[in-house]
Parts: sequence; structure tokens; C-alpha cells
Amino acid sequence: METLYYIILVPMVYVAFGVFFIGTAIRLIKIFREPKHPTTLQIFPEKKPKWLWALSDTFLLPTVRKHKPVLWVFLILFHVGILLLIIGHLELFGEFEIFQIIPHEVFLGKGFVGLIVSISLLYLLFRRFKSPVRELSVPEDYYLLVLLFLIVIFGSQMDWARRWYEYGELDVEHYRMYLSSLLHFQPELPYEITDTGHSFMLVLHVFFANLFLMFFPFSQSMHSFLSLPMNKLRRGFVYGQENT
Amino acid sequence: MDKKTRDDLLKLFQSKLNEAMRFYLETCTRCGVCTEACHVHASMGQVRYIAAYRSEIVRRLYKKYFKGRGKFWPSVGEAKELSEIALDELFDAAYSCTGCRRCMVYCPFGIDTQQLMSIAKLLLIGANTEPEILTLLADTSIEKGKSLELFKEGFLEGIKRLEADVLEKWQTEAGTTAIPVDVEGADLLYVALAGAHSIIPAAAVFNAAGENWALSFFEAVNFGAFVGDPTKTKLILDRIVNEAKRLKIKEVCICECGTAYRVMKQLAGKQPFKVSAITEVHARYLKEGRIKVDKSKLNGAVTYHDPCQIARNAGVIDEPRYILQHLTDNFRELTDDPRYNWCCGGGGGLVAMGEDTLDFRMKSSKVKVDQVKATGANILATACENCHTQLSNLNDHYDMGVNVQFLSSLVADALVR
Amino acid sequence: MSDEIQVIKVFDLKGLACPMPVVKVSKGIKEVEVGQVIEAQTTDPGSLSDFPAWAKTSGNEIVKTEQEDKLIKFYIKRLV
Repeated sequence: METLYYIILVPMVYVAFGVFFIGTAIRLIKIFREPKHPTTLQIFPEKKPKWLWALSDTFLLPTVRKHKPVLWVFLILFHVGILLLIIGHLELFGEFEIFQIIPHEVFLGKGFVGLIVSISLLYLLFRRFKSPVRELSVPEDYYLLVLLFLIVIFGSQMDWARRWYEYGELDVEHYRMYLSSLLHFQPELPYEITDTGHSFMLVLHVFFANLFLMFFPFSQSMHSFLSLPMNKLRRGFVYGQENT
Repeated sequence: MDKKTRDDLLKLFQSKLNEAMRFYLETCTRCGVCTEACHVHASMGQVRYIAAYRSEIVRRLYKKYFKGRGKFWPSVGEAKELSEIALDELFDAAYSCTGCRRCMVYCPFGIDTQQLMSIAKLLLIGANTEPEILTLLADTSIEKGKSLELFKEGFLEGIKRLEADVLEKWQTEAGTTAIPVDVEGADLLYVALAGAHSIIPAAAVFNAAGENWALSFFEAVNFGAFVGDPTKTKLILDRIVNEAKRLKIKEVCICECGTAYRVMKQLAGKQPFKVSAITEVHARYLKEGRIKVDKSKLNGAVTYHDPCQIARNAGVIDEPRYILQHLTDNFRELTDDPRYNWCCGGGGGLVAMGEDTLDFRMKSSKVKVDQVKATGANILATACENCHTQLSNLNDHYDMGVNVQFLSSLVADALVR
Repeated sequence: MSDEIQVIKVFDLKGLACPMPVVKVSKGIKEVEVGQVIEAQTTDPGSLSDFPAWAKTSGNEIVKTEQEDKLIKFYIKRLV
């Protein structure tokens, strides 16, 4: 068991991050080095400045809000939630002053961020069971959502235990120790990480997160990087032309 | 399908993979927001007419042959082998899509289904399973460009015979040619279609505006674009570009044909002339006071169908409305937002395929009929030959009781001194 | 003159929208046997260059073209 924990918490994490960063970089380089589309792919009427509208399309999803308002609510909750969770994880490496503009206790969100993301994921998953999204979906779409749900639920359990059930064995310091040891390539697994009541949750959380990271560069999750350039095309950006 | 055929087809697929195409192929999350976007789905209900589903037909092949995943784990994305069955599916997807790009308005990423369908169309050409008639039409256009001298005389004679009709609409001063052709140094080259209806009213308006113009030898429409053949599209386009350069033209004006306008405007690249739609030119004449029109010529309520390739996809939106303000006091919009206008259902080569597609075109455009009916207008104007044919077919089929008109004809008929 | 050519079928393509004259004649020519002649009537000046180009592309032959006022008559022999 100890070995298994070790494999998941140390070498697999390295492999997962390696695949994630290198895979994503290689795939993005490959895509962006393709010849540019020679003509405009714009939808009219035009609105200026184009870059501002492209940003708005990418981050505010106005077309979803207009046509599927309920989906929009969950999509925004999910994406903002993910962003907050990423910030929360960065704070598990060390202190970032910039994140403390709004003073909070690590892990941020008092447990509610994880809860909201979990509920959003369930919505996103269950809506795929209904026609016509059901017919449109491919296994990848379900795998990603299930994987994300498992990651978030096991991750959040730890936070919830601490916040809501007065579980005392968990402490940010231990995570900072573990994660920064990984970062400095001198892996260390404190006793509190591997041998306490919540350890199996952590191991499962990390295990599924590893799987997700390794699948990410090869999946539709790449939309996180491609959405903005695509929206720029729709707003009328043409390579080699002045785009205002 | 043998290996050689498949490899050749995959080479064609590869040739379409530029950056934008990769974006479109990698990104879809199958969220289903595009469900309500397609007029075919809205009219007929089948899931296979949802934009994301059409795109997935192409994307499945991409996942099989152009992603590492296709070898290791094809089932995760339902990657699919390129087979005869796959070709049938590609045909069904590509030739039930009019390339109107209404779905692109819905998609949170802005995936261009028309672009993805162009892959399908190219593969069908490679497999010799594209609609034969479209290729024949494209080849005919190219042939015309090659052997212009052979047809020139007959064409000029035919044009001469139209002049009386032009003068009937607008009497020019004695000594001027009603339909000038092959005029070096003309300011404007008008590229029409084969039909007299595309030449006579336009000529009358040019003459009324005192334009220094010439009629092109060639027809504007680009069948190469319909069938999705990039090489032929370019050859057909080049005929006009070369003619315009030879005559030192300042402005190429495209007749009421959506495909022709979009291809010329967006594909011609940097040229010494500017490209306009006839709608833009007419609006300009009105603005500059070069022509005057009489509102009393039009009776009843008028609505205007924005041709997808001219409005949503090329931005000529305000000009037709400006013209209509001068033609009537009773104008009614089809939609509050021109991006959401329903396609007529005839684009992408469907109308050019004639009666073979008639049944499908009628069934798939029910929503267009409802949209027109809701305005209560009795005159339905448009600025595209394709749309005009399709809307006229719909008018007959659904007994809509509207009068389908070309906007340019309305202008010509309302001309006053 | 047209009496000498034995016309099997006449197609009325007057006033049709683009590209129907060529579409209809392509279909129509297949309704007769190789070697037989059809007559296509149009009013579109564009057909005066479209039809010869079409004939060359499709491998058929225009045996004669007549223009009477606005009416244009093509006599087309099916060769393939």
C-alpha cells in the first residue's frame, strides 16, 4: 500500500505534469505553426474594437447566455470555480501576496467552491444523458466530466472535513511541505500526508488528477487554449492584416 | 475502399489542414448550443442535421488519421475509418448544409461548419462521388475562360438584342451604348449572370447614374466554390480578375449572387480594383443623388431576405435597408438581429442541383416560410439569385402568396428623372 | 434550315434562373439516344457563351444556333 501511495503521489505526478506541459506545448506549437487561413472567417455585423469583443466572446460566452441560459449559469460557475481551485492549489505551494488582495484562509472559498463545481459537473454530465446532446456526445466527453467530478469530489472532501466537520489532522503546512518538495525535486512525504484518516482521499484525488492531466493535451479540453484564437477569427482577425 | 484510394483521400484531407481548420477540428465540446441554429434541424428535427453532428462526421475521420489517439484509443472519440459508408455520411452532411454559417453565431468558440464541410466536399470530389452537375458547371465556367474568343461574337450579338429592353427602363442619350462591353478604362466592371434579368435592370440603373461601366464577358457565380474545389474556384475567379486588370477597371461590381460576391470579395486577395456588391453600388448612387427613385411604385409591405453570403458572411447589411427606405415606407424586418436570419435553404449548391434537391429544399426550409409569413409582407425582396430561386420555389410550394423580387429590379423599376 | 435537323425533343428554358438552363439541358440530353438532336430555347444572352462551353466540357455538339429577336435556339446533338 505504501508503495502504491508513493507511486501515485510522486513518480506519477511527475509523469502527469510532464505529459501535460510537454504534450500541450507540442500540440499547440503544431497547431499554431500550420499555415494561417488566407481569408477572413468573420461573422458580420462587425463590432469594434475586435479584440475586446473576442475576449468577451471567449470569457463571457454571450451566445450560450442567449440560447441556453441555464447551461450558461453552470458553465460560468464551473469555469470560475476551476479558476479559484487552481488559485487555491497554487497557495498550497506557498504564499502569494497577489491572491491575498481579498484576505482569506487557504484553501479559499470555505469549501463552497468545490461544492459548486461538483454540482455544476453533475449538471454538465447529466445534460449529456438527454437528447439531443446525448447523440452528439462521444465517450471522451463523459470521461472528462466523470474524471473531473472524481477529482473535485475527493479534493473537496478534504476541505469539507476540515471546515465543516472539525477534522483536525489536515494542515496546509503539510501540503506545502509535500508540494514544494516535489517542486524542488526532493520528494518528501510527511506522515500526515500518507498515514492519516484522509490519506486515501488525497491519493484518489491525486490519482484522478494525474489521469486528467495526462489526457488533457489530447482531448477537447484544449479548448481552454484555442477558444480565444478561434473567437478572434470569428470577430474578423486575419493573419497579416491590421486588426483593430 | 482500397488502400491507394484511402491514402489519396487522406492527402486531400491533409491539404485542408491549416491553423483555423485544426482549431475547428480539435475544439468542439459537443455542448449542443448549436442545436437550434440549423434551419434543416429546426424544420425537420433529425439530430444528424445539428451542426455539431455534421462536423463530427468529418471530425471522426480526423481523430482516426490525424491524431495519435486514433491509433491508441480510437473509441474515446468514436474515431471512424474512411470507408464507403463514411463517404455516404460525408455526402449527407455536406449536401444538406447550405454553408449559411448561422451555427457559427451560436457556437461559443465560433466553429465554422462551412469550413469543415469543405473538407467533406473535397473528399467527395476525390472519390468521384460529388454531385456531377456541380463539377460540370464549374468545368463549363473554366472552359469559357479558356476559349473566350470562340463565344465572344455570339455573346455580343445576344447582348445587343437586350439593349432595347434597357432603354425601355431608362432612355439614354443618343449615341451612348446601353450595354457597353469590353471597354478599356471603364470605372466599373459589372459581373452579371447568364440571365437577362440579371443584366437589364442593372444596366438601366448604371445608365441612370451616368456610370462609366462595362459588362463582363463572364458570369459571376463560382460553381467551384459550390462543389468545394479550391483549384477550380481559383480558375473561375481568375477569369474575372484578369478581365478587370486588362480593362484597367477601378471597381468590380458583383451582381445579386451571394457566392460570387463572397468569393470575389474575400478570396481574390489584394487587387488593383475594389469589389462591391450591386446593393452597395445602388445605395451609394442614392446617397450621392446620382439616381432618384419614386416610392409610389411599390404597394404593400416589403420585407428583405439577407442572403447569408452577402450579409452575415460579408457584411452588406445596412445598404439594402438604406435602399429600401427610399423605395417604401412600409418595410418590415425578418429578424431584429441580421445574424439570426434563417437561410433560404438553397445555398451551398443545393439550388444549382435543381430538381434533385427540390423535395429536401422544401422540407428543410419550413422555418424560413414561417419567418416570412410572420412579417405579413406581400413583397419579399432579396439580393441573390440562389435565394431568389429558392424563395420562389418556397412561395409556390407553400402557397405563401408573396411577390419575390430582386432588390435591383425594384430599384430599376422605381427610377425617376 | 431547322427542318433538315430532326429534332427529337424541345426544351423550353426561357427566363430561367442561373444556372438552370445548363442544368436542364445536361439532364435533357440524356433523355435521347446518342446521335439524336434536341432543341433548347432560351432568352438569356449568357447562354450564347454558356452553351458552347458546356458542349465542349460535356463532349456534346451544338450543330446550329439561331437567334430570332430575343429567342435563342440551340440544336444540340448528343455525342456521349
